[in-house]
Amino acid sequence: MNPTTPTTGERPQPHTADEPETRPRRGRAFVVWWNRMRVMTIKEYLQLYRDRILIVFMLYAFTLEVFLAGSGVSMQLQNGALQVHDSDHSFASRELIHRFRPPQFSIDGEVLHHGESIEMLDRGEAMMVLDIPPQFQESLLAGETTSVQLQIDTSNPVLGFLATSYGEQIVGQYGLEAAMQREGIGLNEQAAPIIHEEHRVWYNANQNDAWFMSVVEMLNVITMFAILLPASAMAREKERGTVEQLLVSPLSTFQMMFPKVLAMTSVILVGTMITIHLILQPFFGVPFRGSLTLFMAVTAIYVFTTAGIGMLLATIARNLAQVGMLTALIFIPMVFLSGAWTPPENMPPVLRAVSAIAPLHHYIDASLGIMLKGSGIGLLWDSILAIALFGAAIYGMSMGYFRRQFG
Amino acid sequence: MNVRRVTAVASKEWREIVRDRMFLALTFLVPVSLMLVVGYGLSLDVEDIPLAIVDRDGTNLSREYAYRYIDSRYFDFKGYALDVHDLSPLLADNKIRAAIILPENFQKELLGGRPVVVQTLIDGTFPFRAQTTKGYVLAMNTSFSSEVLASYISKRRGIPLAQAATSIRPVTLEARYLYNQSMKSDWAITPRLIMVILMMTPPFYTALGIVREKERGSIYNIYSSTVTRLEFLIGKLIPYVGISSANAVILWLIATQLFGAPFKGSLLFFIPATLLYIICTTGLGLVVSVLVRTQVAAMVVTFIVTVIPSILYSGVIVPISSLSPTAQMTAHGLPAMYYTNIIVGTFMKGVGLRELWPDVLVLAFYATGLMTIGYRMFHKRPST
Repeated sequence: MNPTTPTTGERPQPHTADEPETRPRRGRAFVVWWNRMRVMTIKEYLQLYRDRILIVFMLYAFTLEVFLAGSGVSMQLQNGALQVHDSDHSFASRELIHRFRPPQFSIDGEVLHHGESIEMLDRGEAMMVLDIPPQFQESLLAGETTSVQLQIDTSNPVLGFLATSYGEQIVGQYGLEAAMQREGIGLNEQAAPIIHEEHRVWYNANQNDAWFMSVVEMLNVITMFAILLPASAMAREKERGTVEQLLVSPLSTFQMMFPKVLAMTSVILVGTMITIHLILQPFFGVPFRGSLTLFMAVTAIYVFTTAGIGMLLATIARNLAQVGMLTALIFIPMVFLSGAWTPPENMPPVLRAVSAIAPLHHYIDASLGIMLKGSGIGLLWDSILAIALFGAAIYGMSMGYFRRQFG
Repeated sequence: MNVRRVTAVASKEWREIVRDRMFLALTFLVPVSLMLVVGYGLSLDVEDIPLAIVDRDGTNLSREYAYRYIDSRYFDFKGYALDVHDLSPLLADNKIRAAIILPENFQKELLGGRPVVVQTLIDGTFPFRAQTTKGYVLAMNTSFSSEVLASYISKRRGIPLAQAATSIRPVTLEARYLYNQSMKSDWAITPRLIMVILMMTPPFYTALGIVREKERGSIYNIYSSTVTRLEFLIGKLIPYVGISSANAVILWLIATQLFGAPFKGSLLFFIPATLLYIICTTGLGLVVSVLVRTQVAAMVVTFIVTVIPSILYSGVIVPISSLSPTAQMTAHGLPAMYYTNIIVGTFMKGVGLRELWPDVLVLAFYATGLMTIGYRMFHKRPST
C-alpha cells in the first residue's frame, strides 16, 4: 500500500498555461484527502485483524449467540410446573385436572398435604398448586357454588398473570359445561349466547418467538459493537499516546475520527450479513417481507449513529477502562429500555422521552417493520429520520469536544 | 504465600484505581444508575395497548361491549375504524397493536340466544405482548358472555339475575398469589437487577485491571518480581471484590428502601452468598483476562459472556421454565441462574440455607473452578 504522499511544497503543474490554476490543485487536494482516508481506514482494519481473539468472539456473537437466543428463549407460559392437591378424588375433580394440559401446563404430580405443596413452591420445584376441596363433585351435582384454589408463584409477574388467565379460562369453561349438563335446558355450546372469539395474529401468525428473539439479539449485538469498537479504537490511541502522532500529522479531526467509524461500520455490516444468511434465514426462517437492501441501508445509518455515541464516549474518557465503564452505562439501559421488553407506553414519562429519541428503539421498530411487516420507506421514514438526526447531533458534539480537547 | 506481598499488590492496585478518579467514580456510578434507570423503566406489565374497534353492528349491546375496552386500563382506545381495510395501515405503522371487529347482528344474535364470533387482530411482532393481549381479550369476552348468558337464562326461566349468574358459574377459581401478592413488577425486577449488575461489573473491573497491565507492559514488573502468581492474583482481585461488595450493599439498599422490595430472608445468609457470587463473577473476569491480550478484546468478551447471558438466561425477563432444553442447559451452566434463585428465595420467599444450599454449593463450585482455571492459565513466563 502507498504511504501518504507528501504534499506540502509541491506545486501542481498545470496542464496547459491558460487553464485556471485552482482546478488541478483542488483535484490534487482531493487525491491527497482520499489517500489519507484510505490509509487510515486500512490501518484500522489491520489493527482489528491482528486481534485474533476479538475476531473469534465477534464471529461468535454474530452467529452462535444469535442462534442460541433464537433457539432457546420463549416468553410464553410453557410447561408451567403444576402440582395437584386433590382432596376429592372424584370423577369431576379428575375431569377438571385433566383440562390443565400442555403446552401451557404440565402436571408434575400430586401432593398429599398442604404443607408439602408450600414447600415445593418454596423450593421452586412447582410453579402452581391446584387445590381441589373435598366434596367437590357433590356440591357441583347439588348445584351449589364451590371454588378451587390455584396457588401461583408470582415472583415472575408475567407468568403469574398468564397462568391466572389460562386457569380462569379452564375453570370457567368447565363450570359452564357442568352447569349446562346439570340444568339440562337444552343449552349447549352451539346454542347459547356466548361470544366466541377468533383471533388472528398478524405478521407472526404462529407466534414464533424465535423470529423476535433472534432478530432482537442481532440488533443488540450490532449495537454493542457499534459503540464499543470505534470507541475503543479512539481511546486506544489516547491511552498509548499515538493520538499525539495523529495530532502532529496533517490530518483533520474529521480525518482522524471518520476512518475508524468507517472501518468498524463496514465490519459490523459484514457481520450482519453473516447473521442474516447463516442464522436468521436458514435456521429460523425469519421472513424478509420487505427489502433486504433497505434493511442494510437502515443498519448502516444506525451503526453510523451509534458509532457516534462511541466516539463521544472516547473523547470524554481518558483510557480504555473508562470507555468500558461508560459503554456499560449507555449500552445496558439502551438494551433494557429499547421497547423490545417494555412497551414504551408503560415507562415513566421521563424515560419515555429518552426512549423516543434513543436510536435503538427506532431501529428495532424499523427492522421488525421491514422483516415482518414488509414496510417500505414510506412507513419508516420517520424512524430513519429520527436515527439520522440523532447521529448528526452526536457527531457534532463529539467533533466539537475533540477539537476543544486537543485543539 | 506472603501476606505482605499480597497487601503490597493490593495497595498498588487500589492506589491506581483511586488515582483514576473518573474510573473510581464510574465503578460506583455505573451500578447505581443502571439500577435506577432499568428499575424505573423496565416494567413487564402490559398496559395501554393501542386499540381500534370496528363496530359493524352499532347497537346498544355492541356499544356496551366496546365500552368495556374503552374503559379498561389495559387498552388505550384510539378510535372506531369504519372498515377492516382501514386497520392494516394502522397496524403496519404501529399506530395500533390490536383491533376488535364486532360482527353485524351482534345484538340480535346474542339476545336471541345464539353465539356470535368476535374477531380480534393482534400485532404479533412482539410475541410476548401479543400473548398477553390475547389473554386480556379472552378475559373480556368471558366476563361479557357470562353476563349475557346470565340475563338470557334469567329471562327465559324467570329466575333472578343473581341466581342465574351463580348457576352458570358453579366453580370459581381462587387465585392465590404467593411471594408477590400485588403482582408488582418493580418488586420482581429490582432484586434481580442486583444479580444482573453484579454479574457484569466485577468481571469488567477485573478483566480491565489485569489486561491493562498486559497491554501497557507494566506486567513485566510483576513477571520479574518475587511476587508469586497466587499473591499477584489475590492482591489484584481484592480491591475489585471490595468495590463490588460495597456496590452490593448500595444496590440492596436501593432495592429495599427506594423500590420497596420486601426482604424476607436473613442477611446472615444473604451476605455470604452474595460475596460468594461476587467472587464467582470476579473469577470470570480473571479467566477472560488470561485469555485476551488487549483491553478491547477484554471488553468485548466480558460483554458477551456476561451481559447477554445475564439478560437471557438468568430468569430476569425470560423465566427459566420457558427456555428450550438447550437454553436451559446454557442457563444451568452459568452462575447467574443460581444466584437468581438465592435472590428470589431471600427477597420474596424468606427461605434460607436449608432450601437454597444446592445453589450455594454450585456457586462455591464455580468460584473455586474459575479461580483455579485463572490461576492455572496465568503464567509468569508468557509463551510469546
